[in-house]
Amino acid sequence: MAFLEVQDLQVYFPIKGGIFNRTVDHIKAVDGVSFEMEQGKTYGLVGESGSGKSTTGRAIIGLEDITSGKILFDGKDITDKKTKNKAFRKDVQMIFQDPYSSLNPRKRVLDIVAEPLRNFEKLSKQEERKRVQELLDIVNVSPDSIFKYPHEFSGGQRQRIGVARAIALKPKLIIADEPVSALDVSVQAQVLNFLKEIQSELNLTYLFISHDLGIVKHMCDNISIMYKGRYVEQGSTADIFENPQHIYTKRLIAAIPDIDPKNREKQFHNRQKVLEEYTQSYNDFFDQDGLAFQLKSISDTHRVALPQKG
Amino acid sequence: MWKFIVRRLLITIPQIIILSIIVFILAQMMPGDALSGLIDPSIDPAAVEQQRERLGLNNPWYIQYVDWVGGILQGDFGQSFRFKMPVTELIGQRMVNTVLLSVVTLIFTYLIALPLGLISGRFNDTLLDQAITGYTYIGFATPLFIFSLFMLWIFGYNLGWFPTSGSVAPGTEPGTIAYWLSKVYHALLPGISIALIQVVSTVQYLRSEIIDTKQKDFIITARAKGAGEQRVYNKHIFRNSLLPIAAFFGWEITTLITGTVFVEKIFSYPGMGLLFLESITQRDFSVANSLVLLFGTAQIMGALLSDIILSIVDPRIRIK
Amino acid sequence: MEATDVKELEQAKTPSAIKVLLKELYRDKLALVSLIFLVLVAAFVYGLSIFLDQDQIVTVDLFAINEPPGEDFILGTDYGGRDVFGQLIIGTRNSLTIGILVTLLSGVFGIAYGLISGYYGGHVDNVMMRILDFMNILPFLFIIISFVVIVPDYNTITFSLIMSAFMWMGIARLIRSKALQERELDYAQASKTLGTSNFNIIFKQVMPNIVSLIIVTMTLNLAANIGLESGLSFLGFGLPESTPSLGTLISYATNPQTLEHRWWIWVPPAVLILILMLAVRNVGEALKRAADARQRRG
Repeated sequence: MAFLEVQDLQVYFPIKGGIFNRTVDHIKAVDGVSFEMEQGKTYGLVGESGSGKSTTGRAIIGLEDITSGKILFDGKDITDKKTKNKAFRKDVQMIFQDPYSSLNPRKRVLDIVAEPLRNFEKLSKQEERKRVQELLDIVNVSPDSIFKYPHEFSGGQRQRIGVARAIALKPKLIIADEPVSALDVSVQAQVLNFLKEIQSELNLTYLFISHDLGIVKHMCDNISIMYKGRYVEQGSTADIFENPQHIYTKRLIAAIPDIDPKNREKQFHNRQKVLEEYTQSYNDFFDQDGLAFQLKSISDTHRVALPQKG
Repeated sequence: MWKFIVRRLLITIPQIIILSIIVFILAQMMPGDALSGLIDPSIDPAAVEQQRERLGLNNPWYIQYVDWVGGILQGDFGQSFRFKMPVTELIGQRMVNTVLLSVVTLIFTYLIALPLGLISGRFNDTLLDQAITGYTYIGFATPLFIFSLFMLWIFGYNLGWFPTSGSVAPGTEPGTIAYWLSKVYHALLPGISIALIQVVSTVQYLRSEIIDTKQKDFIITARAKGAGEQRVYNKHIFRNSLLPIAAFFGWEITTLITGTVFVEKIFSYPGMGLLFLESITQRDFSVANSLVLLFGTAQIMGALLSDIILSIVDPRIRIK
Repeated sequence: MEATDVKELEQAKTPSAIKVLLKELYRDKLALVSLIFLVLVAAFVYGLSIFLDQDQIVTVDLFAINEPPGEDFILGTDYGGRDVFGQLIIGTRNSLTIGILVTLLSGVFGIAYGLISGYYGGHVDNVMMRILDFMNILPFLFIIISFVVIVPDYNTITFSLIMSAFMWMGIARLIRSKALQERELDYAQASKTLGTSNFNIIFKQVMPNIVSLIIVTMTLNLAANIGLESGLSFLGFGLPESTPSLGTLISYATNPQTLEHRWWIWVPPAVLILILMLAVRNVGEALKRAADARQRRG
């Protein structure tokens, strides 16, 4: 039994219109996504902005309404918002993209980190403060700063405070929605390595949402590529990077910058080639609406949205 | 745009229905009913009961409501027990005065607001603009009834330039030119009083609208093309800023209705506002309730009118 | 990097809304003078009215009718021989009390209404806004007056409640549009994922972020409410004559004799209302500038 199982998830946003403001159409933000996750692993979800990757994560944790499909967590059905009970809230946490808006500017660090503790555990003031200081210690933020406000910290520090808040309840699954994309590159590596560290310490499972394949390669065990609400390719990190099958994946991989200047010429030609292939076979890989086809297994771990005609 | 207008019209219908229900409930809560005004208290209670039955006053509330609405749709607002006459007739007499007062007020409002707003916006941050802004600032904080009292005291009593009460000089023959002139003359001071206070929001709006428009790209383009300053203002800025003002018209009705109550009281001007105050004090509730219904409907219509005008001149609001 | 710096500078100012507002008020001399004036007037009328006997002041004294200002009565007497100065003190006190009461009552309701409507959004918001729109187009002055006549047990509290029932829409609409913005911010979303109840998110997480808007709006509402109360009292549908308000005093001017010849009865309260409303507005406008970073002076 998988730790987290998502079956044919659909999240549609209504488009209102007409005289009575009825729903006239839908935006299919997530359109039939299925995947499974194992405990202790990191699962990457990659796509361009608007591909539905964040919506998938937000739907799992309950920030978006699910149109249809099923989500099983630890074997329990948690699809409906009402079934997302206290235990689920405690076990699944989220790290947000923007460390500037994800911390309430009017709250002290103590209040921010203690928010989940106050919701789930009845601690005395002393115990609470001790726990917060321990958590800040884990994320390498000075425990003396509990009475400071978020604006007194740098972006990287804030994101780590956000992490401290997310791990306060010792969750099993953390949904990290672009956790480093708002940070300076120099700080990104620091936060990523730190996320890896606490993963092994606390046996965390990550759903790692990102648009940056380089970061995903560094972080994840399994990767899914999303495009316009559908999966185009799904597999282990090795499958995706060493044996990409879908032209969209190929193009994304070709776009990863190479820092070695000697390879510049080679990279450029490679990209040209991939682009040519992309334009030529676009109609083979996508249907008339520009959407990907159904996934097909090509190995035990590797599934690709290959053309129907095969 | 048509969609917006149709949707806006559809909202108006339930608004008016709910308003009528509220007024009906108010009427039910008020002591006495349609009959208590008509009859002599010394009449035999059995006969009264018979009358009540005949007039449908013992029916369940919803049937009474339907009867009442049915009457109103045919122009029957019931009887005034003070004046012993149909409410419709009574209100009709007063309505002429209030409509006249409103027209005078609106004329003065736009006569004052437009030049002040245009000047203030065009020459912003000059001494003249500061004076106008100062006026709107103080005007905003001044309650109309206090301002009107001072106006009446100064121009009515001390200087004697205007009549101090009534809507027409006594003894003038109705229908003559002198009669109508006298009517307008009586409406002048109250009208100007409301206008001077009511203009401030329009002036403020116009000013900021012009200052905004001034910095828009198409104005800069017009200037760059060599259009003269006067032409830029007349052809581009004023036209763009004045259109939204047109939409204010409907909303002014709300302010106007509230304003007339105070002003009619202060100037003893026999309009609908004063009639409302009198009928409430004299417990002539059928009159008072009819007036609430009329004023409410006028406000709903005003808001409807403004929203429609605005949707025509300003595409931004259609999205909502 | 630069974007980060700017963001941090902006954030650096946000934490203590009240401190920022007070600092800004201190810089704005006109607003500061207004505030001091208001505090003094309030202290004066509330302090002095402890020593004044309201019943004695409103008792008719037929031997001292319509006396002009003089030694016995600083501001003369009215048609019932009642001391105008005493009525002015008590009237100011009553007007201020009602104004503050109505501002608080309508404010608390309007803030809660706006927060709930904006925070939940969707259908809840739709229905709540329709109700608000409808309240907005009611001829509130007439309905208030009708209620004043109907309500059997009519006193200061019921009067404040009736007024508040029609005065909460403006602030509710403002707060609602702000709450609509706030709920989309990650901190509110984060609170949801942390298991915080909607009630706590609304009132403990979101509300502190709109404190400055609340303070500004309530201040400006105070001016409006004092104006409306005195207006209603002027028309004779405010506080009963035994509980004089500034409007009650001014209403004596509806008698042409009083208006023309006995200025001492109605001019002082009229001028006092004007000054009070201007002063409250000065403070409110200064707070508004302070709350809006773009307009902040220096």
